[in-house]
Amino acid sequence: MTSSAAVTSTGPATDSLKLTSYFGERQRCGSGFVADALLGLYGRHEIATSILLRGTEGFGLKHHLRTDRSLSLSEDLPLITVAVDTRPRIEAVLAPVLALSPAGLVTLERARLLADTTAPGDLPETAKLTVYLGRQERVFRVPAFVAVCDLLHRRGVDGATALLGVDGTAHGQRERAAFFSRNAEVPMMVIAVGPGEQIGQVLPELGGLLRRPLLTLERVQVCKRDGRLLAAPAARPGAGQWQKLMIYTSEATRHRGAPVHRAIVRRLRSAGISGATTQRGVWGFHGDHPPHGDRLLQWGRHVPAVTIVVDTQERIAAAFAVVDELASERGLVTVEDIPAVARSEPGRERSSFVMKIS
Amino acid sequence: MSVLLWVAVVLIGGAGSVVRFLADGVVGSAAGRDFPVGTLAVNLSGAVLLGLLTGLALGHDQALLAGTAAVGSYTTFSTWMLETQRLTEERQHGKALVNIVLSLAAGIAAAALGRLIGLQL
Repeated sequence: MTSSAAVTSTGPATDSLKLTSYFGERQRCGSGFVADALLGLYGRHEIATSILLRGTEGFGLKHHLRTDRSLSLSEDLPLITVAVDTRPRIEAVLAPVLALSPAGLVTLERARLLADTTAPGDLPETAKLTVYLGRQERVFRVPAFVAVCDLLHRRGVDGATALLGVDGTAHGQRERAAFFSRNAEVPMMVIAVGPGEQIGQVLPELGGLLRRPLLTLERVQVCKRDGRLLAAPAARPGAGQWQKLMIYTSEATRHRGAPVHRAIVRRLRSAGISGATTQRGVWGFHGDHPPHGDRLLQWGRHVPAVTIVVDTQERIAAAFAVVDELASERGLVTVEDIPAVARSEPGRERSSFVMKIS
Repeated sequence: MSVLLWVAVVLIGGAGSVVRFLADGVVGSAAGRDFPVGTLAVNLSGAVLLGLLTGLALGHDQALLAGTAAVGSYTTFSTWMLETQRLTEERQHGKALVNIVLSLAAGIAAAALGRLIGLQL
């Protein structure tokens, strides 16, 4: 596995890039699906970590709502792929990724890929920590994602959500889910948000839990916690800068009877926001309550849900106003700056986009 | 029973499910609500159609093609059940109950209406 070697050789915390694509499940390129082509590419390039996540609801630039609520509308659900590796390795796949996805959105962000769990010296004020795990990975007979969420909760981190991947690479190795398989190594991720200092203290403990930790750190701003408004998304100088809003809620949190994430997506769509995707997690928490997920016998679902909105900062401000109103009692809301974006535009070839982060 | 008839059942049956997919998608996304109106519209229109066909008193082969193959594949019980279960999963028990009661009551009325129209023709 050359990629992990490449990472470790450059020190404990590497300045890496995170490449994210938002597109539709039915989108094709050539003879196959875009999702397969993207993950095939990441596999061939032995990308340190990549994951394919399925959304449960969302819409894109054309404002067609896709949702798993109805059988016919659940065709072509939104997909998200995330790939993180060192700068040169991500830059090497950038052009083919743009050529593969004729529609949809591609973003490039900074992330620090941690090859060991000693806390880096210059932690951001608020950090987003992503822990990549295998589906069947266990820690002392407990599923690893449960152990990680539990640890993060005990250390008082603002929130953590475990999301199941269906395809991806881990330490450069392609791991794809199959119908008849244990799918032990298929990647999943735990996304946690908290004060940088706290996240830094958790890192060595995570190192004690996980055999081959694969972690990334990013800078975020927390806008709302437990429904309480802390600060509206901070605008950057210059118009048209891109931002990403992430709304962590739960299936059990409702707005007028329906799960709040459904209400948020509907309102964002009618407010003219460029796109939104909701994913259902399998386990997690956001706020003071202990981590939760589905049980075998239950009255309604209990899993967490994450809604992602990527847009210009002007429209993110409008989206935040909607979210602020709907997530008034519960929910964790964060915002991040997106340095580089490519999205489908009429009459412009995707391959002509230049995505660069200085 | 000829091979041709069974081929026709296969083709018409396939076409019926495609029409349902399109109709459900159009109605569902136009309504954009939490309530599964697409499936309700499909099942009610199917009930009217089936009532009408039985009212017409078609021959055996025509009844098989129009009733079992076309309307049978157009309407859907399983989707109705799945979407009702989805509503309860999201704790929308009132809507789930309405979905069951409304589909049953309006469905029987729709079939009766269709039959009435068929008998008049």
